[in-house]
Amino acid sequence: MPRPGSTSCQSPCHALSRRRVLGLLGGSSGFGSLLQPAIAREIAKKERQVCLIWLDGGISQFESWHPLPGSQFAGPFRNIPTSIPGIHFSELLPHTARIAHKISVIRSMCTKDPNHSTGVPRIQRGDPIDRGVDYPYLGSAVAKLLGPANSELPPYVWIKPGNGGFIAREAGFLGAEYGALALGDGKAPIHIHRPESISAQQDEARQILRERANQRFRSYRRASEIDAYETSYRVARQLMARKDIFDDNRIDPGDRERYGTHPLGRHILRARDLLESGVRFVKVNSYHWDTHGDNFNMSQRLIPQIDQPFAALIDDLDERGMLDHVLVVLMSEFGRTPVINSRLGRDHWPDCWSLALAGCGIKRGAIVGNSDRDGVFVDGTGYDIGDLFHTIFSVLGIDPRRKKYRHKGQKLAIAHDECGPIREIMT
Amino acid sequence: MKPPLLDAKATWVSREIKFPHQLFRARFSPDGRAIAAGGQDKLVHLWDIRQEEPAHRSLGAHETWLSSLAFHPTAPHLFTADYQGVIHCWNYLDENSTKPIWTIPSADHDNVRSLVVTPDGKHLISAGDDAIIKFWRTDSGKELARLEGHHDCIFSLAISPGGKHLVSGDLLGTIRQWNLAGGSKFVRALDASLLHTRGEQFLADVGGVRSLAFNPEGTLLAAGGMKDAKSNAFCPGKPTVLVFDWLNGKVRSELRIKGKSDGPFNSLCFLSNGALAGHTEMLHTNSELVFWKIDQPDPLHSLVNPSAYELSLHPDGRQLLAACYLSGGSSGNGARKRDREKYIPNGSILRIFSLYKQPKET
Repeated sequence: MPRPGSTSCQSPCHALSRRRVLGLLGGSSGFGSLLQPAIAREIAKKERQVCLIWLDGGISQFESWHPLPGSQFAGPFRNIPTSIPGIHFSELLPHTARIAHKISVIRSMCTKDPNHSTGVPRIQRGDPIDRGVDYPYLGSAVAKLLGPANSELPPYVWIKPGNGGFIAREAGFLGAEYGALALGDGKAPIHIHRPESISAQQDEARQILRERANQRFRSYRRASEIDAYETSYRVARQLMARKDIFDDNRIDPGDRERYGTHPLGRHILRARDLLESGVRFVKVNSYHWDTHGDNFNMSQRLIPQIDQPFAALIDDLDERGMLDHVLVVLMSEFGRTPVINSRLGRDHWPDCWSLALAGCGIKRGAIVGNSDRDGVFVDGTGYDIGDLFHTIFSVLGIDPRRKKYRHKGQKLAIAHDECGPIREIMT
Repeated sequence: MKPPLLDAKATWVSREIKFPHQLFRARFSPDGRAIAAGGQDKLVHLWDIRQEEPAHRSLGAHETWLSSLAFHPTAPHLFTADYQGVIHCWNYLDENSTKPIWTIPSADHDNVRSLVVTPDGKHLISAGDDAIIKFWRTDSGKELARLEGHHDCIFSLAISPGGKHLVSGDLLGTIRQWNLAGGSKFVRALDASLLHTRGEQFLADVGGVRSLAFNPEGTLLAAGGMKDAKSNAFCPGKPTVLVFDWLNGKVRSELRIKGKSDGPFNSLCFLSNGALAGHTEMLHTNSELVFWKIDQPDPLHSLVNPSAYELSLHPDGRQLLAACYLSGGSSGNGARKRDREKYIPNGSILRIFSLYKQPKET
């Protein structure tokens, strides 16, 4: 196994990728947020990547993707035309309406769980048939099934508000190796820089000593605990070699403006840079979308915070030639109720809701599925989360019918056995 | 016959009008004979309440939810505003009149959250999302003037008794006083920032000065909302009223509730005896109608009642109208089995409270 940060990986594709990248970089002082479109294209040719944007709590479909002006449950906002003839979004999505022809929207998601505590893991695990194991979240699953896109970087990075750290639990039965490196507020892990008082040689010696100690410790401990510890260390060392990615001075002021200076804007811009640098799977979380109270005032304030950076990300990936290889998924654990409650909020609604996808293997400008007139239930085919997982794996080049996890000698389906890909949105 | 003695503690529900859609605004007409209301179904609803069975009719022109309404003090004109910045003027007494007399198509770039009419009936004043106060001629809808100075959306307006001053309250908890008599100039700002919360992890500002009311003497100004919001999702907070001494602009008392309501005071009314009435919201359960003596922080009296979004005092000063929430049975998370058959919207009850001792039935 190559040393983190070394260039001795024997994989031909990685060697090519790095040589090409270095060659293209020429005299520049590094990449990161200023990665040139040409370099991004080189990386993109080789690897399929994912950006999952998770609006925790549940964005209202009425105030975003499926405004349904004829519904007795429609909100008070205007509907605006999109770049797809005949398709309208809520006026709270003006930037996304402009790039609607680059994305797909599913308006007929029909899932099972109306609660956050059970719904979030159920959705992010793809709700497979229960076989008594703790299934991995999507990011860990992709990290396992595709491996790192760039051996110098962790395969699964999670940008979230609050604290960061290494989150092993998302990996489920796959083990800590496939956990998420969480970047609190999108920032580099603390202590990423090697103190000046320690030389590179001293640092290497410390690393060897640490590994030996782990080896010894491993002989009489459960392996998973040590795996988690070692993985977090390895990931930290990988990032120590790539601290250029986190240099905010490299961010183009124009990009800051296009993505927005609010947390979602900054975090999605960071996600773009990580994708450009070759991270396989980037998840961006935003919390507080659970608008049981004051839904309309809050939607007016919250939805523009996803509209602007989402559209900017799609535009940038498209411009860099990456949109054909990077899958972008924008979703929540469910939608929000048609009825409006006593606090002028909307509650949880898994029975008919919407999400958006773009990029890798996804049709451009496909608006799929419909609801009844009032937006209460799906009219026609409803799609469960298992169908979405089949779709995601399929467009990433993983055959969910053939590919299986192996866990303790057991073959396990990677997505719900009784679901299938949503062909209407696939190229 | 001598009118019954005003007594908030004896308040009782004297009349109810149920309606199948949510109504967010409701007011008595200046002669007390009619109620105008509006909300989710985009229509302006009028009830003639002189009969035991109130006669109902509706007027259509708005293309979205109604957000505010106000009556002219003397002319038969009703002004209604909506979430997309439109104001219509209606002749509400003429049953043959079904179209607006005039329309302002763009009074605000978004939601017109508050309308008031000057006591002389000459000016309609609007404010909302664009944070600009605008003056309009009531007879034509022609714009007369603008007042700028707020830094975020304006929720509430009120005019002092006698019509000398206008106050406006915004999301950030700023109340601005404007002199109406001397060319509509800014006079001072009052600090109601207690009613605004922006927690470290919040994605948005929560709360604001949702309601404003002067006492009949014009010596006190009450500002309603909620404090200490815990999140921008459920938006739960502590319903709170700040009572300002109008002379010095200082907070004289902070009024609270004893119940568990978690939403703001969207509406406040001073009664002629100096008591203050307010109503809160509560998620999925009953809220309360509250009365205070303004120098006592705890309520004088409160009644359990569904969430209500507006209060209106009858011209007789002895009846209070509340636009209340009425559950249609489909609220809560996810669908239930019966929802497959019939999933219906929540509705409203227009509830009239009589503020005196209920007469014994003969």
